[in-house]
Amino acid sequence: MKWITILLAASSVPAGAQWLNYRETGTPRTKDGKPNLSAPAPRVKGRPDLSGVWEAERTPLIEYTRAFGEDVAKLQVDLNDATKYVQSVFWGVKPEDQPLRPEALAAMKRSSGTPVPSSRCLPMGVPGGLFVYTFKMIQAPREIIVLPGGGDPPRQIYTDGRGLPEDPQPAWMGYSVGKWEGDTLVVETTGFTEASWLDGARHPRSEQMRVEERYRRRDFGHIDLEVNFNDPKYYTRQFGFRTVLNLVADSDVLEFVCNENEKDQAHTAKH
Amino acid sequence: MRVTAILLITMTLPLAAQWLDHKEAGTPRGKDGKANLTAPAPRMNGKPDLSGVWQAERTPDSEFRQALGEEFASQQVDLNDATKYNISVFWGLKPGEEPLRPEAVAVMKQYRNQVAPTSRCLPASLPSSLFFYTFKIIQAPRETVMLAGVGDPPRQIYTDGRSLPEDPQPAWMGYSVGKWEGDTFVVDTSGFNDTAWLDQMGHPRSESMRIEERYHRRDFGHMDLEIRFDDPKYYTRPFSIKAVLNLQPDSDVLEFVCNENERDRTHLAKQ
Repeated sequence: MKWITILLAASSVPAGAQWLNYRETGTPRTKDGKPNLSAPAPRVKGRPDLSGVWEAERTPLIEYTRAFGEDVAKLQVDLNDATKYVQSVFWGVKPEDQPLRPEALAAMKRSSGTPVPSSRCLPMGVPGGLFVYTFKMIQAPREIIVLPGGGDPPRQIYTDGRGLPEDPQPAWMGYSVGKWEGDTLVVETTGFTEASWLDGARHPRSEQMRVEERYRRRDFGHIDLEVNFNDPKYYTRQFGFRTVLNLVADSDVLEFVCNENEKDQAHTAKH
Repeated sequence: MRVTAILLITMTLPLAAQWLDHKEAGTPRGKDGKANLTAPAPRMNGKPDLSGVWQAERTPDSEFRQALGEEFASQQVDLNDATKYNISVFWGLKPGEEPLRPEAVAVMKQYRNQVAPTSRCLPASLPSSLFFYTFKIIQAPRETVMLAGVGDPPRQIYTDGRSLPEDPQPAWMGYSVGKWEGDTFVVDTSGFNDTAWLDQMGHPRSESMRIEERYHRRDFGHMDLEIRFDDPKYYTRPFSIKAVLNLQPDSDVLEFVCNENERDRTHLAKQ
């Protein structure tokens, strides 16, 4: 089953590390010292502060077995490494309801014999990089930095009022600007490279794709995230999904150097 | 010449990109609109704000030629990609003056039969990534982030008062904490792996190496940097280098995905 190889490629978790249980000052706590995840969201300069280590809600095993059969449970794959949206951005959408243009189907056919870019230590991109392991947001005065725990390049989301670049050099993570709509951070991203896949199901993206992410930190421990995609070259309409990000308190993202454990390249290079 | 091959490897610069000429608001400017690089350093919360894109001063051609011979200049290598400290952290010292223990000499002898980690798309690490291309500093409230233009993993320098981890998982970029001594930002880093080379000469480092970086932004456009190394396993005494960092106003670091252009690995793998 193809998607399993994708999870295997993503499951080389670093063994252990420091600052994974450092007690952050400024974290509201209950009497037993545990983080109070339902405390109000922190604010900075009149806006919610999204800083923290976040993990997208994991997919219950039953959802995987329903989609892929009972065999999934027998495989030695840690399904907690990633969420269903790494498998497919159309998870839960019936095939006939997926807005694929013939061009998208053709692109998926072309890439069907190719290993997923991340198995060659290339980035997962947006949104995949957000749904493997955890990621960290660091809110600085003029930009918000996103550090993906899966080793993707860092993202810089500019909040200084600039517009998106007009003719950008295509990039795996794209170019992002963010603005506040009330307490919701709205991130617009363009300038993607066509080399990356949206998911393990090989849904393509073109250089014209625009991704909108809407982040709303509803309390200390939770962000509601909505991701919307617009790519008229490959899709007949806009589409998107919603998920919840859970704060992983007193934690951190670890250095992840994919090439360090890279032993497959000599074998996959022939593809 | 060995050094030449090394510089060639680092030369896969991205072609063009956006936001390399975005006019940053908040940058002091002369009447002609150009950044005023001798204006006072900006401040944030009572301390200098080190945020910006920085490039270590480049090494004059004559200095390379003097050390490496006249033929060096005839090679088609862009010496502006890197500085002399990428070649050797002991640049300028006479051979006998380098504080190498026999253990260091032995490791360098082994490295002579290997390719540098960077040629296998592994991190350049410290201090090298500060001397290739440019790097960006982003000062956030609880930490200062460094994004290396050469694609190394991002560095998180904690400024929330925590101390260095006691038994960290060895990492390419180590673990860093920063504190202010007056207007100088002092960064202490430990927890390195012993895989990275300090420079292209293959000066080694051990897991017990500690590095101190001292950043002093003397005006808007210039920062004095001193880096002190302490690694008693390989070196008979602590040693240091000094460099000036020049602000690259209205610029940015670009996404750099080394694996994207990776074609050598199947050949290098046999080494």
